[in-house]
Amino acid sequence: MEKSVTYSTAGSVGKSLLLALPMFLLIFIFISGGKPDFSSTGNLIAFVITFLFFSYLFFMILYTGKTDRYRATGFIALALFFALVFIVNMIKARGSMTFSQENFLACDIPFCHIVTTMILIPIVFTKSIIFPGNIIEGFASISTMLVIVIGVSLALGRGFCSWGCFYGGWDEGTSRILHKPMIKKVNPMFRWMPFAVLLLVALTAAITLVPTYCDWLCPFKTVTEYEQVTSTSSLMKAIVFASLFAGLVLLLPLLTKKRIQCATFCPFGALSSLTNKINVFDVRIDREKCNDCKKCITVCPTLSINEKEIENGHSSMTCTKCGKCIDACAHQAIHFHIKGTPPDKRLTLARTLFLFPSFLLLVIFTGGTMEYGITLIIKLITTGSLIK
Amino acid sequence: MKKLMIVPAYLWAAICVLLIPVSFIGNDGLARQLARLPFMKINPVYSGGELQRTIEKDGLIIAVNNPVFEALIGESRRGFVQVRFTGRPQLPAAIEETIDYNGDGTPDFHVNINTVSGVTTLDPLSKDVLSLNASSRVGEAWVIRVNLHNPRK
Repeated sequence: MEKSVTYSTAGSVGKSLLLALPMFLLIFIFISGGKPDFSSTGNLIAFVITFLFFSYLFFMILYTGKTDRYRATGFIALALFFALVFIVNMIKARGSMTFSQENFLACDIPFCHIVTTMILIPIVFTKSIIFPGNIIEGFASISTMLVIVIGVSLALGRGFCSWGCFYGGWDEGTSRILHKPMIKKVNPMFRWMPFAVLLLVALTAAITLVPTYCDWLCPFKTVTEYEQVTSTSSLMKAIVFASLFAGLVLLLPLLTKKRIQCATFCPFGALSSLTNKINVFDVRIDREKCNDCKKCITVCPTLSINEKEIENGHSSMTCTKCGKCIDACAHQAIHFHIKGTPPDKRLTLARTLFLFPSFLLLVIFTGGTMEYGITLIIKLITTGSLIK
Repeated sequence: MKKLMIVPAYLWAAICVLLIPVSFIGNDGLARQLARLPFMKINPVYSGGELQRTIEKDGLIIAVNNPVFEALIGESRRGFVQVRFTGRPQLPAAIEETIDYNGDGTPDFHVNINTVSGVTTLDPLSKDVLSLNASSRVGEAWVIRVNLHNPRK
């Protein structure tokens, strides 16, 4: 019965397999780096699990016509494995999850996409980057990350936030734990709050020449790295990071079934929403098919659909293109769409053209991390240690 | 007009499909190109500023950077100077030096560093020298940053 409500390749194993074949090849190439390392049984097991995991997810996306449930599985895996691998690497390199004055003075702090929101104004005025990272060398260098941010923003707009962000899977995961929300109504106006946070951090960073969000507000410091606690201010920062993580990433998503951190607090989400305006992919709502059940409003994790959006026939600019509303719509009234093309034709083509780059982004970000994470888990099981 | 948009729209969508693998496969080359742009340098607040002069003394190489008084526009009232001590052949257990950070021939501060415990004491000898900002081993060297008042403000 479920198959009949979807418009995609549902029901055709052969067609789904055929469409998925190029992706299987890309998954193989990207997780192996072109040269699979089967030097140990652990590596082989990790590679096979990762390859089968992503191949299964993509095949199921095509076969069932459902996007979100399979995307979310990969996306949550990205967040968990990223945190595991990042923390283990930090402990190996530095002996702890904290960065010290030495790391700061040596400018070897990894750059993350969220910092982009704070470096733009200083670039214009000071012709320099206000971040203690490395321009080109080392792990997560500034140039490397900026190329990815620009490429992904052009290709997917805010799709980055549901297909590539290595933090978003945390609140995505907690928002899916309960079957029904305990807080049923979240004011949709909160979706504009990231723009206020963006304005605040961009201006304060420009005035102080300090990336203020990273320095004071980033909840994900709790699961990556944070400043060594050596003073009252660094202790306060650690408390703020942990409190924001507990509140915005764990508790509120759990109670509301919304991605609260992403929907209401992330400045990169706001910047990325602006790139949605120039991105070719969007989510359209067919008014003729819609019966105003408003299920899409209920399920949207980033508050990107309400009555006004249904009336306008497309999701808000804050949409992360996760596909949850599309999966939830029993009347096939919502679909991925390519701007400039007729809204009611070649829907499968539009969906497939969107799914290829977005799923590939998920594979590239998650694949190597997950493979390495699995080898770490195997190491933990066989040796009793993640670090040795 | 709407029909005319269809081909470019699908073309742009197809380009987007390629953009993701290109951003990663071509990342090394693209990142190097990006790094060549004039604004792709670390702000002196983080890099410590440009090297002003180097002094060799008693088995130590002392690199004094230009004072940093960065602001979004113009200069700030407060800044810092970074000094790097490199040992020959290795860092001594204690460093005791008097530094003339602006090269005017007058000592500006006296610093005493225990490179084993990290304990650092600073004695300002000029009214523009305020306090110790940072003192840490960085690789094989020891780096200090001393807070300054901007004499031009």
